[in-house]
Amino acid sequence: MAEKAERSVVEVEVPLDFTYNYRVGQYLERYIKGLGEKKILGVRCSGCSKVTVPPRNFCGACNRVMDEWVEVGPEGTVENYTIGHVKVERGAVEKLDEPRLLAMVKLEGATVPLLAEVKGMAASELENGLRVKAVFKDPVSDSLADLSHFEPVGQEVK
Amino acid sequence: MRKVAIVGQAQVNASDVGKSRERMLFDLCKGFYDGMGITRHDIDTFVLCSNDFAAGHTISNVFEDCPVGAYMKDETKVEADGVMAVTYALARIMSGLYDTALVVGNSQGGSVMRPYLVMDYTMSPTYDRQLGLLNELSSAALQARAYLDAYGLGDEVLDRIAARNLRNAAKNPDAFNGKADATPESVAGSDKLYEPLKQDHCFPFTDGACVLLLAGEEKAKELTDKPVWIRGVGDSLDSYYPERNLARSKSVKLAGERAFKMAGMNDPAGELDLVEVSAKFASQEPIICEGLGLFAEGSASDVAVRGLAEIDGAMPVSPSGGALGAYPLCAGGVTRVAECYKQLTGSAGDLQVADARTALAHGQDGLYLQHNAVMVVSTEEG
Repeated sequence: MAEKAERSVVEVEVPLDFTYNYRVGQYLERYIKGLGEKKILGVRCSGCSKVTVPPRNFCGACNRVMDEWVEVGPEGTVENYTIGHVKVERGAVEKLDEPRLLAMVKLEGATVPLLAEVKGMAASELENGLRVKAVFKDPVSDSLADLSHFEPVGQEVK
Repeated sequence: MRKVAIVGQAQVNASDVGKSRERMLFDLCKGFYDGMGITRHDIDTFVLCSNDFAAGHTISNVFEDCPVGAYMKDETKVEADGVMAVTYALARIMSGLYDTALVVGNSQGGSVMRPYLVMDYTMSPTYDRQLGLLNELSSAALQARAYLDAYGLGDEVLDRIAARNLRNAAKNPDAFNGKADATPESVAGSDKLYEPLKQDHCFPFTDGACVLLLAGEEKAKELTDKPVWIRGVGDSLDSYYPERNLARSKSVKLAGERAFKMAGMNDPAGELDLVEVSAKFASQEPIICEGLGLFAEGSASDVAVRGLAEIDGAMPVSPSGGALGAYPLCAGGVTRVAECYKQLTGSAGDLQVADARTALAHGQDGLYLQHNAVMVVSTEEG
């Protein structure tokens, strides 16, 4: 029998373990279904013409419902990026073996950038202005993960 | 309008304070009452500032009433940054219903929970939390990169900002993360997180609490001969979404303008003697200061090279060491106001800004500096 571990009376562990089952709502549902067909959908505000992706119900500035659906991408331009040498998992910071590339991608036809992972390139080559293309998951999983990541344009899509 | 002053402060900050949250609050508040020569019965209303996720249970103030002295008293809570709690206390006194208000902010993000998790739980549950790409560090890194790239600045400017804050924090007895020998090189050598952020650019995980006593004009003059008057407040909430230009903060600008207007200031950069800003990451400091109109847009490198933000500079920024010295969630903004109070009462020790008469405290909450609150305080009654 294993040796009995010393019992701590100093600290207790208290998990916060509620599970919530949210409705994603009509907009995100339509977006996810679009990803399954390798389409990226956004909505345009009829007030300020802003196109948001993922689609959102409301325009904050115009205080109105956005309801004109448009297809954007699948190519876009890197507008901002960060290279993660760690990951934050439930608040805990852990070192990564390989850096993870994140980019804000301005998709063709969209006003708002989409945050996504970029793969298939060296971290040192990631820069603003880089043209990237969406890579979709196959087979589809009916989730946000169906838009898997982006790769530099001109590369062979796996 | 009724004049309101800050008449006292006390704070505690540590990576692990070594006591329960309730005991930490009791020791701080009881010590404060004794030091002021008052009792809990001198407090008309209590404004507590804490967070349910940080506490790990709903109604985070549920166990705070007895330790802070609010038992059977008038009490309310703000679940946001501390500057908003001080603003709420100000409004309660200005209403005429109360003469004194005690603001108490606290959390134990050093020993009890992981502060980054609280930011995770502020994010969109159906999108960002499902994707798992955005977190407190990656979002701060994207904002840092946006600022640096917008103005063609090198990453090393962040090292200079952090080194100044860490050196100042080492001289602040109320901070714990100070590094007396911090240099841009030592900061640059700290662990890489999400580029361009490194470990020394980031606020430390903190157990802490800060208490601030506010009083209406007559009562304030009874309680102290060095009242610090609250002259202006402003607040602004930006959109959660990333369509805004992350290199600038419009909500900081609007919050500042509202506070300056209320304080009757036409030339804030000329009239302020120092500012205490809640820059949780070194990269947020220039965005906040530039939003407030204290420095030109994109001038962080110039500010650092010319030492403008140093204690003896043209506009001392966070002489206490700011959020890099200690940052207890919720209490963070109360602490910034308390540090202004220390400066304006001449009790900032080795960090004292000469002839400090008017100061600004800034607090923030949310993703990419979403919610900003500003408070202008002065030795002059106005």
